[in-house]
Amino acid sequence: MRLGVTDRMSVSGNKPAATRDWLGLKKELPRRRRYLLTLSSFLLPLALWSLVSYVPWLWHPLVRVTSPGEVEAFSTGVEVPRADFERENRDALAQHFEPAQGFRVNPPYLPPPHAVGRAFFSAFRTPPRLPDEPWLYQSLGHSIRTIFWGFLLSSLIGVPLGVLGGAYRFFARLQEPFLEFFRYLPAPAFAALCVAVLGIYDAPKIAIIFIGTFFQQVLVISNTVRRVDPALVEAAQTLGARGWPLLRGVIIPGSITGIYTDMRILLGWAWTYLIVAEVVGTMSGITYFINQQARYRNFPNVYAAIAMIGIIGLGIDFVLAWIGNRAFPWQRTSRRAGRLLALSQPAPASHYRVGAVPMFRRGAVRR
Amino acid sequence: MSTPDPKTVPIRDLLPDYREQLPEVAARFARIRERPVILSIRGLEKSYGHGDARTVVLDRLSFEVRRREFLSVVGPSGCGKSTLIRIIAGLDEATGGEVLLDGQRVEGPGPDRGMVFQGYTLFPWLTVKGNVMFGLKLRGKSKKAADREAFQWLDLVNLEEFADAYPHELSGGMKQRVAIARALANEPRILIMDEPFGALDAQTRAQMQSYLLQIWKSVDVTILFITHDLEEAAYLSDRVLVMGANPGRIVELIENPVPRPRRREQFISRPFLSLKRRLAELIHADGAAEELKLPLTMRPCAEDSVE
Ligand SMILES: Nc1ncnc2c1ncn2[C@@H]1O[C@H](COP(=O)(O)OP(=O)(O)OP(=O)(O)O)[C@@H](O)[C@H]1O
Ligand SMILES: [Mg+2]
Repeated sequence: MRLGVTDRMSVSGNKPAATRDWLGLKKELPRRRRYLLTLSSFLLPLALWSLVSYVPWLWHPLVRVTSPGEVEAFSTGVEVPRADFERENRDALAQHFEPAQGFRVNPPYLPPPHAVGRAFFSAFRTPPRLPDEPWLYQSLGHSIRTIFWGFLLSSLIGVPLGVLGGAYRFFARLQEPFLEFFRYLPAPAFAALCVAVLGIYDAPKIAIIFIGTFFQQVLVISNTVRRVDPALVEAAQTLGARGWPLLRGVIIPGSITGIYTDMRILLGWAWTYLIVAEVVGTMSGITYFINQQARYRNFPNVYAAIAMIGIIGLGIDFVLAWIGNRAFPWQRTSRRAGRLLALSQPAPASHYRVGAVPMFRRGAVRR
Repeated sequence: MSTPDPKTVPIRDLLPDYREQLPEVAARFARIRERPVILSIRGLEKSYGHGDARTVVLDRLSFEVRRREFLSVVGPSGCGKSTLIRIIAGLDEATGGEVLLDGQRVEGPGPDRGMVFQGYTLFPWLTVKGNVMFGLKLRGKSKKAADREAFQWLDLVNLEEFADAYPHELSGGMKQRVAIARALANEPRILIMDEPFGALDAQTRAQMQSYLLQIWKSVDVTILFITHDLEEAAYLSDRVLVMGANPGRIVELIENPVPRPRRREQFISRPFLSLKRRLAELIHADGAAEELKLPLTMRPCAEDSVE
C-alpha cells in the first residue's frame, strides 16, 4: 500500500521539526526555552555535584569511624580510606576483636551542596578567628576596591590610547609594536618589582591589575575602533566630516558598543589577575580569606568564597549589560543572547550595508 | 518587392532610431546645453599596480554634466562605475586626469558632492532626524535651525513621523529615503548615487524611482545616477552614459528620447523601447556575458528536458 500524502507528511514532518526547534543552526530559541536552558546550565553541574555528594556508592572513598570497636588504629571521628578500614576490620575479626563501625564519606575537600549553601550565609556572620583578621565582607570589599582602582587607572589611559591607535595609523604604528611585546610579559612576573617600588600594601596589587589589563586593553580597543564600518566613515566624509568631528561623530559612536563589550571582557580578565595581585606583598582580600579557611580546613567556606567571586563577577556583568542596553538604544542586542547575558556584539558590517564595498577598497584593515 | 507582413516583423525592427527626438525633447536638450557645466571629467584615468601587473580600470574618461541634469551611468559589472563615482566623490584618487566641480579641482571628499550608496550607510546610533541633521550641524547651524531644516527634508521624503525612529526600525526603501534626505540637506551641487535602489525589491524600487523624480523636480540639484537596470536609466535620466569594460571607457553618451514628464506607461512607448534596445545592444555586445556557458553536463533524472 502506498502512503497517502497526509501520512507521509505526518511521518516526515512532525518529529524532526521538534528537534530542529531546539537545535536550529544559529537560530534563536523562544524565550521560555532560553530561560529553561539558562537554568539548566546551572542545575546540571549542581545535579552532578549532588549525585556525587549524596549517593554513597558513587564515590565516597573514605570511611568515617563512628565507633572504633577494638581496633587500635582507629578512634571515633577519623576518616580513613575504605581499603584500610576493611583490612583493619578483617584483621580484627580474625583475632576475634570487635570490629569498628563507620559510614562512607567524601573527602573533606568536597563538601556537599548544602554545606556550601549554609556556608554562604554563615561565612558572613562568622567573626574572624583572630582579632586582626578581616570579616568576609571586608575581604570582598578589599578585593573589589583593588579591582576598581586597577581597572579604572588602566581604562583612563588605555581607552583614549586605544581609540587613537584605532583611528590614526600614526598612533597605531607608534604604540603597537611595544604594546604587543609587553603584553606577552606575564603580569605576575612584575610582582617582585612592584613590591620593591610600591611597597607591600595595596599599591603593588593595583599595579599588577593595571599591568595585566592595560596592554591588552589598548590593543583590543584599537582593533575594535579599526573595525568601524568604513562605509559609515566614507558617508560621513561625503557629508563634510573630517578631523575631530569625524572622530567624535562617527568613529567613536561607531565603535562605542564594541568598546563597551571589550571593557566587559577585560573586566573579567582583571578578576583573574586579582588572585595573583592579592598574594603580592601582604596577602589580602578574598584570596586571603580563602587561604585562611583552607588552612582551617573549612572547605565549605572556601567554596562559598570562590562562588562569591563568580556571583559578583556575573552580577557586575549583568548590571553592565543592562546599562549597555539602555545606553545604546539603537542596538538590538540582548534578544540575541547566546549566553546568560550576551555580550553585545557590534552588529557586523553587513548588517548595515547590503552591497558591500569590495574588501580591497576598505584600506588594509590590520588583523 | 512586397512590404513585409507587419505581423511577422520583430517589434524591434518597427522601433524608431533611438536618436530620433520629438520636437519638445530636442528643445529640452537645447536648453540643457545652454546651462552651465557643473561637473567636468577630463581624461580621468585609474589603474592599479605597476608594470606587467598594471590593470587599467578607467581609461581616460571625459564628459560633462550640466546644471540640474539627470545623468545615468550604465555598464557591465566591473566596468568601473563605482570607481568613477568614488573618484568624483573624492573617496578614491585618480591616477590621471581631473575632476572639476564648478571649475574647481576636486581633492578629497566634501559636502558639495552628496553621496547615496547602495548599502544604506545611515548612522545606526542616530535617529532618522539625527542622521539628516548630521551635515547641517557640521556646517555650524544652530540646533534649532538644523532641527527645523531636518524636518523640512524629512517632509520632502515623506518620513516626518519617523523622525525619532532608529534606522534599524525602517524598511530598506525608507532607509534609502533618509539617506537621500541626509545628502540633500547639505544642499550639494551634485547628488551622486551608486545603485541606490539595487537592494530593494521590484515594487519598492519602482516607488523609489518615482519619489526620486519628484524630489529632483522640487529641488535644484544635479544627479549622477549609477545603475545596472536599463529601464531605470531610461525612465529617470536626461542622458545615459554607457560604459564598456576592460578597460572601463565611455562607449556612448546617449540623449534620452523619452519626453518628460515621465510616467510608467511610457515603458512601452516607442522612444523608450528604442532607447532600451540600444542600451541592451551596447552592453551585451560589450560584456558578452550571456555567451558564457557553464561547463555543465546534463544530469537528467526525469524524461522531460527543460528546454
Ligand atoms: N584595489 C584594486 N586592485 C585591482 N583592481 C581593482 C581594485 N579595485 C577595483 N578594481 C577593479 O576595478 C574594476 C571596477 O570595479 P567597480 O567596482 O568600479 O565596478 P562596477 O562597474 O561598479 O561594478 P558593479 O556593477 O559590479 O558594481 C573591477 O574590475 C575591479 O576588479
Ligand atoms: Mg559598483
